[in-house]
Amino acid sequence: MDPYEVEFIGENRIISVIPNFSYDKIYLICGEFGPFRAGLPINVPLWLAMMLKQKQKCRIVPPDWMELDTLENIKEEEKRSRFFTKMPNEHYMVEAKLILGAASEDVPNAAEIKTIIKDIWDIRMSKLRTSMDALMKSGGGYGRLDHLTMMEINSAKPLLPSAMDYLLQIQKKAQQRVQQPSALNTSTFSQSGSSQNT
Amino acid sequence: MDLTDDNIALSEDEEEEITAEVVLKTLQSAWQNERLAPEILPHRNDMVECMLGQIQHMERNINKLPKTDLRATIHKMELSRIKFIICNYLKTRLSKIEKYCIPILNEERQRVESGTNFLTPMEYKYAQEYLLNMENHMKTVVLDKMPGNMQMFESNKMAEHPNMQSHVFLKANETINGVVLEDLAGEDEEIDLEEGSQHILQYKPIADLVKNGKVQLI
Repeated sequence: MDPYEVEFIGENRIISVIPNFSYDKIYLICGEFGPFRAGLPINVPLWLAMMLKQKQKCRIVPPDWMELDTLENIKEEEKRSRFFTKMPNEHYMVEAKLILGAASEDVPNAAEIKTIIKDIWDIRMSKLRTSMDALMKSGGGYGRLDHLTMMEINSAKPLLPSAMDYLLQIQKKAQQRVQQPSALNTSTFSQSGSSQNT
Repeated sequence: MDLTDDNIALSEDEEEEITAEVVLKTLQSAWQNERLAPEILPHRNDMVECMLGQIQHMERNINKLPKTDLRATIHKMELSRIKFIICNYLKTRLSKIEKYCIPILNEERQRVESGTNFLTPMEYKYAQEYLLNMENHMKTVVLDKMPGNMQMFESNKMAEHPNMQSHVFLKANETINGVVLEDLAGEDEEIDLEEGSQHILQYKPIADLVKNGKVQLI
């Protein structure tokens, strides 16, 4: 999947906005939202929030976790732990990118928050690379990835799955060799040419 | 003004009514699975048809609103998002049908007999025509110019199969015990997928779990 598709999926998350207009309830296919009352916070999907923001029809209420102390704790925790810690939400990176991109004036300390989220992302990415490396070296065909968010998993594609596919192929070939050691001696030119597509 | 039918009957003979919201969620997860699974999955034409009907209904209502109405813009945006999912879902299926045309048709013939078809009738027709066109093309371009004993179109030699052993990421929708991972050394390993846990593993042992919705590919 492309990153924009992951972002697309992340845009379905619900966030809070403060509209500057009043309107009745709106009945969307993904649910009903409203009624909108100017100045009162209301929950809407992220894509709708972004659209209203671009039309300057609302202010974004930053999610609870988008706050310096909370993020500082998450960062420390992430540094301390050998494993991936649970992120405040499954699409934290998408939310951060969109909200800080379109509405940084609605988020207190937006610049610092941007840096710290980037730090957290970097720590997690480096952990992901280390664990991928360890997984490949152990020759494993299975891994558990709790608490990794979709965007992070997507960044390991297609490298990790296809590396594991190749590893499996190599292991299979090696096993065939062990089972039929005589095949080595009898193999001819024609075999080595045609066996690549199997 | 209410622009949606909140409850839509799935089909005439099916009593169960589901909301548009549930249809959308199902469609989205079917799209995600289809994008990430190596093989073609059972079609969800019921959901697609249902959603297309809903979109049409919605579009008719939007047209009654004044062009500058904010609600119209919001509804249009939502419809574009849903149309994207449907288009991408159908396109993904078509490209799999083209790529793995021969094995899909072979398997589908048996499935049609038992009534467990994966393709919609239209997709089935498309696959058959695609194969026929490919065969004719091969014949006119290459085979007819070959020596007599090499002019056969051998479909099983042309077949490209999806790699069922490719590795995929998944999230368990419910707890599943005893998924058997084959080991080349013959020591099979059994693992449990707890609800909400995420894994990377071979597609083959979990193919059925994807089809019955117990896991979601991510």
